[in-house]
Amino acid sequence: MISLQVQNNEPFSIDEISFLNRNDFQATVFEGLTSGYRMIGLFPINKLHPHKIISILADSDTSLVYLIGGEFPKDKLEFDSFANQFPQTNYFECELSENFGFNPINHPWLRPVRKQNIVLGNKPYQFYKLEGDEVHEVAVGPIHAGVIEPGHFRFQCHGELVYHLEINLGYQHRGVESLMLNSNAQQRIIISESIAGDSVVAHTYAHCNAIESLSNTQISLRVQMIRSIAEELERIAMHLSGLGGIANDIGFSIVSASYGRLRTIIINSLAALCGSRFGRGLFVYGGVRFDLTDEIIKQIKNNLETVKKDIASINEYLFSSTGALIRFEQTGTVTNDFASEIGLVGFAARVCGIELDTRINFPYGVYRYFPVFPTILQTGDVFARTHLRTFEIDESIRFISEQFDSIPKGDIQVKMSSITANTGVISIVEGWRGEVVHVAITDNNGKISQYKIKDPSFTNWYGLNLALRETAISDFPLCNKSFDLSYSGHDL
Amino acid sequence: MIHAIKVRVLQGDPIIHDVRNASLPKLYRGLPVIEKKDCTDSCKKCADVCPTNAIKLNPVKIDLGLCVFCPLCEEACPEKIIHFTNNYHTAVDSREKLLVTQETKIISPEKASKKIRDYFGKSLKLRQISAGGCNGCELELNALSNVNFDMGRFGIEFVSSPRHADGVVITGPITKNMSQAIDICYEAIPNPNVIILFGACAISGGIFQNSKEIQRKFLEENKIDLFIPGCPPHPLTFINALLDWLDKK
Repeated sequence: MISLQVQNNEPFSIDEISFLNRNDFQATVFEGLTSGYRMIGLFPINKLHPHKIISILADSDTSLVYLIGGEFPKDKLEFDSFANQFPQTNYFECELSENFGFNPINHPWLRPVRKQNIVLGNKPYQFYKLEGDEVHEVAVGPIHAGVIEPGHFRFQCHGELVYHLEINLGYQHRGVESLMLNSNAQQRIIISESIAGDSVVAHTYAHCNAIESLSNTQISLRVQMIRSIAEELERIAMHLSGLGGIANDIGFSIVSASYGRLRTIIINSLAALCGSRFGRGLFVYGGVRFDLTDEIIKQIKNNLETVKKDIASINEYLFSSTGALIRFEQTGTVTNDFASEIGLVGFAARVCGIELDTRINFPYGVYRYFPVFPTILQTGDVFARTHLRTFEIDESIRFISEQFDSIPKGDIQVKMSSITANTGVISIVEGWRGEVVHVAITDNNGKISQYKIKDPSFTNWYGLNLALRETAISDFPLCNKSFDLSYSGHDL
Repeated sequence: MIHAIKVRVLQGDPIIHDVRNASLPKLYRGLPVIEKKDCTDSCKKCADVCPTNAIKLNPVKIDLGLCVFCPLCEEACPEKIIHFTNNYHTAVDSREKLLVTQETKIISPEKASKKIRDYFGKSLKLRQISAGGCNGCELELNALSNVNFDMGRFGIEFVSSPRHADGVVITGPITKNMSQAIDICYEAIPNPNVIILFGACAISGGIFQNSKEIQRKFLEENKIDLFIPGCPPHPLTFINALLDWLDKK
């Protein structure tokens, strides 16, 4: 396979990538996908020259990331779609087509990603439609019933049963990737914090890792530990928020309120560390802005102790309730086959029997020395997605306590060197929702010329589509909350 | 049953009883104060590092509508004249009042008109619209209904339908793709109504002010009643803003 192999956060020179012609490019990507690699990116190497693209494939078994380059004639930006054999590439091809005018020939379902109802060549897009007796369509959104982000959902139903759900997003599109190219260092960090406000730490961590790798900056172990502690606190907080939401969706208010109380304790721990309940302002290039003092460690330890003690009783109450279990079990199931075919990531994949966790498969930072032990479940239903989150909370609490016991002294900031020219880096971080991928590429002057972000939601929204099939439409809110996906992370 | 009792006992009394004077963590960045001190010649370090161009010079002023409360200016200032306090009373009723000068010690909104207070003083139902918000502001607005803040006790609640609402709370810089939806939603709200902007993005575009993908026509066409600065604003900022504005205790 003609490709460039790198590891997570390993910088590579652009000249090392060989750009193949259309046929070789197709054959190589096909070979990689056949070997079971997962696509995590497909985009031009430089925004101004869209005819040179790279396809990024990840192999979880060897922790390697493969970059395959392709060069196309400027007037003929087309290739044979991979999506018929490998549905996981479908959305990446749609995105490439929408942003840069590529035509994936024979694509099974070319649809808008962030533009409103327009596909290749500015043709109006027709929603998939089911026809027949007693078939009806339900359209919901973009503005929903709660305090949540906007998105449009179309259900093709027969009575209460959903046959097909189509999710149309893009309402939150703020042009994050373009802004990244035209911003200075201070602005880039703030933009990273605002990619998805529930994954502030994950996105900013991925961004800082990318820029630090591009400039060969070595950060201290103490900083790496503080960063991971913040990331795990974010994971606990958002899992608690999700559990509370799920309990709320089945009308179990006391459980919902209890999870909500614990979440407040955790985000206030983050606020004690950095002043923001979401971890904003913690990250700077080359380190962190705030140090962990003994007083803060003591406070966070106490808070974690409370959560650990209380959550056991709340979990017991929730999972012993038959009323809850009947809503959870065998609702919104995604099978293992489907999950790997569409390239699910994060906890949504781990409940389908897929062993994929960036902290294990593409380790970075402190996770290289202190492993986490993720739980894998098999059933792929709402029950598993709910139950797994309780296990992940326990594991994160254990991990943070371990960090507190072994945190060394050290500087919390080092000066960052200048960014290397003509270099690229792939930075992957396991956010609470799943893998967050940031790819940064610099030009001849060391200025960032391409910046690509993949939030776990980009791939996982498709999982929600599949989960809803043959499910009652009244279970939609529950299924939606069990995936807990980001609109702004998808829309960028 | 025993589980239910156990969980209820553990819940304890988590509510913040005094939302007016609750204290926040030391590091929380709220209202900035600027010391009355002259800057050294032609120093513009604070303005240079500000990611959202929130700082005006000679003398130093901070526009809270743009500020994302990162402490970069505080760090950069060689004279240490800028200091973020943990005062969360930062909401106001007009865009100009968001400009913090050396004279500013506290800021607060004027009381709403008698008509508005008569209509909404006892019960205010709000519809939230996320128009490009990153989910940070949305999470804080959701937190308002949790057991800690429990905004419902003041008669203020979020509702699902704009037809049941007395006003909108807008988050996010208002993207092009949401501009039509926001018009339609606002049209469905009966008169009189209120418009509240929550967060730096909604007030000024914040970090996304230069994006080509935003369309802020809605804000030019309508009068805004309350501005809640922050990134995201603290739930207590929101509660206090409404209590001040509606003149509740």
